[in-house]
Amino acid sequence: MSGGAYLPLRAPFMVRSVHVLLFASAREAVGRPRLERAVPPGGVPLRELLEGLGREYPALRALLGSCREALNGRYVHGRSVRVRPGDELAIHPPFSGG
Amino acid sequence: MSVRLSRRPLSVPAAYRELGQGPAGGIAIFLGRVRPDRVGARIVRALDYEADEGIALAAMHRIERGARARWGADEIVLHHRIGRLRVGEISVIAGAAAAHRADAFRSARWIIERLKSDVPIWKQNVLSGDPR
Repeated sequence: MSGGAYLPLRAPFMVRSVHVLLFASAREAVGRPRLERAVPPGGVPLRELLEGLGREYPALRALLGSCREALNGRYVHGRSVRVRPGDELAIHPPFSGG
Repeated sequence: MSVRLSRRPLSVPAAYRELGQGPAGGIAIFLGRVRPDRVGARIVRALDYEADEGIALAAMHRIERGARARWGADEIVLHHRIGRLRVGEISVIAGAAAAHRADAFRSARWIIERLKSDVPIWKQNVLSGDPR
């Protein structure tokens, strides 16, 4: 292959977002099941991401205290964990199965 | 072993067949059904169930393993339905087979309680008079 046939992908053009999945009352508070949130390459603390969502969606802020969060399919303990581009964050209100 | 999230009606005979495939002497099956609860002047006519399916199934498998380790259950059935269920329909089957009745009852009781506390499933009332 001759050199220079393809331009390399460069960071500024890449989507750098966290995929936020919302369930039950959290989905209703936001009005949609999924959000994308841009974060810096090194990520942000989960607390900071949630505070931003809470400012944007006051109805969600009222629920967040009782929610659990799962990052890439695993529940997190505490909200200091960093959320990085490409991560999937699920917001779970209290369960009511059965 | 039988753990399932299903959008179709749950089958008690199928659950019994799975529980009865071994030599267990005791089988206990709990069925959860949709109740016509009164909410103010209105009545629940259906429930909409949803789950975070990947995490829910992983949690249900952990419960299944826990029932075997904790209570010595031989077979476990933990089936939950999602989607819209009308009053009277079965939302959950939690069953256990064990050598004797005490462990079968304990296992079935334990897995339904754990499902309620540990598995990301949610329900929402659909009331009489709701447009949807």
